[in-house]
Amino acid sequence: MTTGDRMPAHSHGVIALTASACTSCMICVRECPVWCIELECHDEEVTEPGARRPRTVSVLDAFTIDYGLCMYCGICVDLCPFDALAWQPDFDYAAGSAAGLVQGISELESWRNNLDESPKVSGS
Amino acid sequence: MEIGKEVFDTSSAPGNTLGLVSAPLPNPRMYRVAADPSLRVQILDLGLACCALEVGSAIATGLLVETGLLDAADVGASPASGTTILLISGTSTDALAPAVLRAWEQLPEPKAAVSFGACANTGGPYWDAPTVTKGIDQLVPVTIYVPGCPPRPEALIAGLLKVRDEIEVA
Repeated sequence: MTTGDRMPAHSHGVIALTASACTSCMICVRECPVWCIELECHDEEVTEPGARRPRTVSVLDAFTIDYGLCMYCGICVDLCPFDALAWQPDFDYAAGSAAGLVQGISELESWRNNLDESPKVSGS
Repeated sequence: MEIGKEVFDTSSAPGNTLGLVSAPLPNPRMYRVAADPSLRVQILDLGLACCALEVGSAIATGLLVETGLLDAADVGASPASGTTILLISGTSTDALAPAVLRAWEQLPEPKAAVSFGACANTGGPYWDAPTVTKGIDQLVPVTIYVPGCPPRPEALIAGLLKVRDEIEVA
C-alpha cells in the first residue's frame, strides 16, 4: 500500500507552474497573503517582421514558492490571468530544512505531470 | 467582593507558574506505519492547532496503526524502529514555547522532531505576528519539515518515512 492511493485528483497538494504561460505580471506575488512567492524577470525587445516597432516582453528569470510559508489558500491560482499556476495532488516533498521547502521553476514545473493539457476555452 | 478579583488573582496558584509549563506531559504512544510495517515508532503528538486533526485523520484511516510495545524482533527489522518522534503540529506562541522545549527535553533517546505544517515550519500565516514562534526549529532540532496548511495525512506518512531514511543513512 502506498500512501498516495486515496488522493483525490484535484486535492490541494502543491501548486505547479507553467513557466511558458507566465507573463511576470506579479499579480500572484502581490496578492499572496503570506508573501511566499518571489519572481524575477527582465524585459526583452522582440522584433516581428512587418511590425512598425519592436514589442517589449517580460522574460521570467526566477520564480519561487516557499512552501514553508504557503497557506495553500489558492488565491494565486485563482487570480493568475493566464492559468500559469494550477493545483496538483502531490504531497511528498517534505524537506530536511526549512530552506529546502523553497521550490524554484524546475521543481514547480516538474509537478505539472498530471496537468490536463486540453484548452479550457474553445477557440471558436 | 471586588468583581474579577477571583479570576485575575493568581497569587494563590502553586508556585505561580504557567499551567502548561508545569502540567505532566502525556506519554508517547507506539504506532506502526502501514506503508512500512517494519517501522514502529513512538509518537508524542504535540497538537498545538488545527494541523493536529490531520494526525487523527491518519489514525482513523489506518495510515497509522496504534500497536503494543516494541519487542526485540522489531528493533532488528528497521534501524528507525524504536525511535521516539516528537510530532509538532500547529502554531507555537512564545508563551507556549517553554512547554514545547520541555516536551523535547523529556523524551527518551533516540529521538527525532518532525515539524508538521506551515506554522511549525516558519510561523506560516502568522509570519507577521509578534507573539508567534517563527518556526519550531528555533526551539528544537527538527529532522523533517512537512509542508502544508494543513498537510494531508499522507504527507505525514511521507514525512515519517523520510525520518526513517534520515536515521538509516546516519
